[in-house]
Amino acid sequence: MADAHAAHGSGDHADHTPSFFVRWFFSTNHKDIGTLYLIFAILAGIVGGAMSGLVRLELAEPGVTFLTYFTGDNAEAAYNFYNVLITYHGLIMIFFMVMPAMIGGFGNWFVPIMIGAPDMAFPRMNNISFWLYVASGILATLSLFAVGANGQLGFGGGWVLYPPLSTSVSANPGPAMDLLILSIHLAGASSILGAINFITTIFNMRAPGMTLHKMPLFAWSVLVTAFLLVLSLPVLAGAITMLLTDRNFGTSFFDASGGGDPILYQHLFWFFGHPEVYILILPGFGIISHIVSTFSKKPIFGYLGMAYAMIAIGFVGFIVWAHHMYTVGLSVNMKAYFVAATMVIAVPTGIKVFSWIATMWGGSIDFKAPMLWAIGFIFLFTIGGVTGVVLANAGVDHYMHDTYYVVAHFHYVLSLGAVFAIFAGWYYWFSKMTGWQYREWLGALHFWVMFVGVNLIFFPQHFLGLQGMPRRYVDYPAVFAQWNYVSTIGYGVTMLGMAVFAICMFDAFFVYRRKAPANPWGEGATTLEWTLPSPPPFHQFNELPRFDKGDAKAF
Amino acid sequence: MKNLYGAVAPLWMGIGVWAVCAPFLLANAQTTPGGVTMQPPNSATAEQVQFFHNMILLPIISVICLFVLALLVWVIVRYNSKANPNPRKFSHNTLVEVLWTGVPIMILLIIALPSFDLLFTEGVTPDGKQSVMRGDGRTQDFVFANDFPASRMVHRPKQLQVLVDDGSGAQLMKNRIDYVATGFGEPEILVSMNAPPAAGARVILRGGRSVDQRGDVTLAPTMTLKVTGVRWYWNYAYPDFGDFDFVSNMAVEEDTTPELYRLEVDNRVVVPVGETIRLTVTGSDVIHAWALPAFAIKIDAVPGRVNETWFKADREGVFYGQCSEICGIRHAFMPIAVEVVSRPVFEAWIDSQRALAGMGPMFETNNVKVAQGVIAGAAAE
Repeated sequence: MADAHAAHGSGDHADHTPSFFVRWFFSTNHKDIGTLYLIFAILAGIVGGAMSGLVRLELAEPGVTFLTYFTGDNAEAAYNFYNVLITYHGLIMIFFMVMPAMIGGFGNWFVPIMIGAPDMAFPRMNNISFWLYVASGILATLSLFAVGANGQLGFGGGWVLYPPLSTSVSANPGPAMDLLILSIHLAGASSILGAINFITTIFNMRAPGMTLHKMPLFAWSVLVTAFLLVLSLPVLAGAITMLLTDRNFGTSFFDASGGGDPILYQHLFWFFGHPEVYILILPGFGIISHIVSTFSKKPIFGYLGMAYAMIAIGFVGFIVWAHHMYTVGLSVNMKAYFVAATMVIAVPTGIKVFSWIATMWGGSIDFKAPMLWAIGFIFLFTIGGVTGVVLANAGVDHYMHDTYYVVAHFHYVLSLGAVFAIFAGWYYWFSKMTGWQYREWLGALHFWVMFVGVNLIFFPQHFLGLQGMPRRYVDYPAVFAQWNYVSTIGYGVTMLGMAVFAICMFDAFFVYRRKAPANPWGEGATTLEWTLPSPPPFHQFNELPRFDKGDAKAF
Repeated sequence: MKNLYGAVAPLWMGIGVWAVCAPFLLANAQTTPGGVTMQPPNSATAEQVQFFHNMILLPIISVICLFVLALLVWVIVRYNSKANPNPRKFSHNTLVEVLWTGVPIMILLIIALPSFDLLFTEGVTPDGKQSVMRGDGRTQDFVFANDFPASRMVHRPKQLQVLVDDGSGAQLMKNRIDYVATGFGEPEILVSMNAPPAAGARVILRGGRSVDQRGDVTLAPTMTLKVTGVRWYWNYAYPDFGDFDFVSNMAVEEDTTPELYRLEVDNRVVVPVGETIRLTVTGSDVIHAWALPAFAIKIDAVPGRVNETWFKADREGVFYGQCSEICGIRHAFMPIAVEVVSRPVFEAWIDSQRALAGMGPMFETNNVKVAQGVIAGAAAE
């Protein structure tokens, strides 16, 4: 493609890059917007990760002894600070780290390239999607420093924002909660615009001959994700708007004393919230498929099964929401339905795991850094998946609900699943995005240190949950001390891994400075991004790649 | 069900899963520092939860994880670029695709059957009833009034238990060996004993659709415990025993042991052992959740709603739980402590509570005199 581009001739302003301010603040270029999203996600990840560090240090031993350093020995303020930390850690990691990295970052960067499109369908809408995210992030930050419960700063009611805790003026009188609602409104609006953009782009701008059934799986995963976003976020927007009016305008949607129902909010929230967890992981599925295929030097096993498994997961993801609500007092028949529906998800998920392994089977595998992360992902996601099957059973969930077992489960699928997929994608596409190579052994070292660290954090939390330790607890009985201590040690190891990551990146940009070839991965890398130079020109595919001749394949 | 479980369990052990989960099962003595298992159960329902988790779910998920790990290790060893420099190019295999779709469905069905059984055991408050008759040495036929609503009628032999107590303890009679029962699903069930019970012997007929994992018919609740979640303590009332209620706050550090600090309360809930207790739970301000792991109970206390569940304690003792839905600043400091006592002690405790509320005693044959706090002190020792 680089040749085609160079031969394009006069009038070509493909590499006419605008000035710094225009390029990065008024950007309509999908790659630059992708880069902005990734920078945003990294900054949010640092904040969210630091918050989890404060949480783990507080939980290192029984007694509230650490957070009081920040509150001038005021214990009540420390309890509130803890609740605020877990709330914002969840919101930041979900809305401001994983989503912008996967969809905004990698999605913007590689969906247009993989489908052979010059850019997104609505480049200027793409720009406002990003800046709405920034505005949303600013509101969330303001909320952190606004008055919430009991004269303390920030809202501390968990990322789910359940009323009456979130609506009760006696519990949370200050503006912290209102700012948080507005922040989520903007993040949701941004994601809806982004999703519309992806759907339109993928449906209309595929290269000639690239049917949906020839489209790379990452584009498939983003397409399914975009539909989940468009269908679920309006429900969240409605729910939090009702929170806002309950708080400020005297409505009582969720106030039992005014004829409302707090459980209604939970239904609305989880109708969004459950698809949301697939929104977080589906793009990761796409990334992992490409990496496994590339480094095994084999085509993806069961391509169609993989694509339709994602559609099935997306569809079933909409009809299982109340498995988050087994203890709220649902009727037993309703719980039975949600048990059955939830377990069904294990089938398409199993298809994906086994197809990844079958893709490796018979291959000639190179264990480069992205492949290490991908294999780590497959194993850890499997662990998180099977504990999900345990929790799907309402009879057992009555024991496990809101214990550390649940915390361990969703961190295995998100912190060790989605985040491992993000790192896999980062190492896979780093040279493509930046034009620089990283030192292979630093990427591998980062993987191994982090693999040990996150397992040390989260595996013992299964034990804590089985022993009955509730989540969202600033302090706990002495009997839970051992595993909490191990978990905190694990956080330290993980931070060591993140330090290796920082060194690896610093080294790649400023010390190692090795130019990346167009395709550093060899014959296994078959998608279109590897046909472009690294980094790709400011505009690509002035002449569209074609898939309508011969047996050309896009994956 | 127990027989089915009994058949399944050795099967799992036989295929080597035992080695994986033995540490989990053997360590199941009590909640211990560094423990890795569920808390020891104190009810048939909790036992069923643990059986389902420890003997069905945990082995299955362990095998799946080990299987995936083994496949990954094999692929890494056999198909790395040194061992296999020339990759093959296949991308389909209908047989394995059918297998890895079909086998998981089978596994999920194996999980689903006991899962639903457990869910309905937990979710349906028992309504079993017991009639006690006296033998006169001649009568062989006894009638059980099957006067339940149509959907709850005793309609299978396992939903009826016949016990005879001739003064040396109740003996469980065996269907078709010691007696023959007819009329299941009809308004009257006739129990014909093979031999007439001795004169003066008590004949106990228990019937109901709630049959626990041990095969015992669970009787309807003998009392209701009303729980209200308040920021940040619990309020308990005993509507069957008079108009009194009390607040249960976390015990301060000086009043308890280091092990029980953050679990112990100033006023424990007191319930009788071996009786079905109906639990009604509500919230007064925000949502809380009343949890008691030893009984596998967790139920949200939602303002404007009354949620119901039930439990039946096997053993006397003190059992602890903690609020399990975030409810604000002191969420971590509103524990739950339930003291399970014998019936006489329970009655004495009820009368002491009534006395505090200015009411007279409710139980006349009350030979266990306890002052407020004495039971708590004794149990703590």
